Amino acid sequence: MTVRLNSTAEISPLLGDHGGVEAKSERSVLPGSVVPIRPTAQELGEKLSLERLHQIDRAFFGPFFRDKYGTGGDRALENGRIRYYGPVQRATGAGELAGRRYVHEFDTMTGCIRGWHETVDCSGNVRQVRPERENGSVRHYQFDGNGRYEGSW
Amino acid sequence: MEVDLLAVRRVFKDVLSGRITREQADRWAYVVMQKEDAGVLKYMPPGDRECIWAGVMYLYGVDTRKGPNEYLHTNDDVMTAMKAKLGAASETEDAMPVLTSMTGGRGA
Repeated sequence: MTVRLNSTAEISPLLGDHGGVEAKSERSVLPGSVVPIRPTAQELGEKLSLERLHQIDRAFFGPFFRDKYGTGGDRALENGRIRYYGPVQRATGAGELAGRRYVHEFDTMTGCIRGWHETVDCSGNVRQVRPERENGSVRHYQFDGNGRYEGSW
Repeated sequence: MEVDLLAVRRVFKDVLSGRITREQADRWAYVVMQKEDAGVLKYMPPGDRECIWAGVMYLYGVDTRKGPNEYLHTNDDVMTAMKAKLGAASETEDAMPVLTSMTGGRGA
């Protein structure tokens, strides 16, 4: 028996005398074509920059999350997580607070997901964070305009 | 679980009428979101997916507060958002049963 590949290389496994057929080689009728593989960055001794890795992560995972959670943008963090920002849902009559948005964070290393609601002011600063809890109860964490934690309720 | 524009609209309307609390609307939307992430949510019709999802994501967190005793969004905000997210569906005549008969899994 002969295993024939679509190249000039052929493999003739040793089959003993199964069925009394003697193994022999045949030349492939198809011309072999070798496509040179482009060397990877590692093979070239180059190291992917963190920025490049983040670009790859964002491109790879984007289709899973961007439409659903990232219409307001997304950002790759240095710890391998990607944050997807929803649109700011405007609030009127809330003083300096402009509205809230949902943030969906995906950890590319573990596959874990977490999310929270951020309340932002008119300057774009996060003034309040409301995480989603496992047991369904919620708590608001408040910050001042400089990002200093003020308290929670 | 199936969800359509009328179901989302009904939750908006129920919030505005006080039939359900904002916290209940938030939990309903959270369940819908979980079903979506689990891949078991069906949009009816599928072409309405974008509007349905926009409405759900508004309702998720609609109970956010700006202080311990005050919601961030006014009822006017919610009304405006309903019209913006749901479009023509927000104007449909109200002839539907209450929220609990159509969620198919609140609190599931």
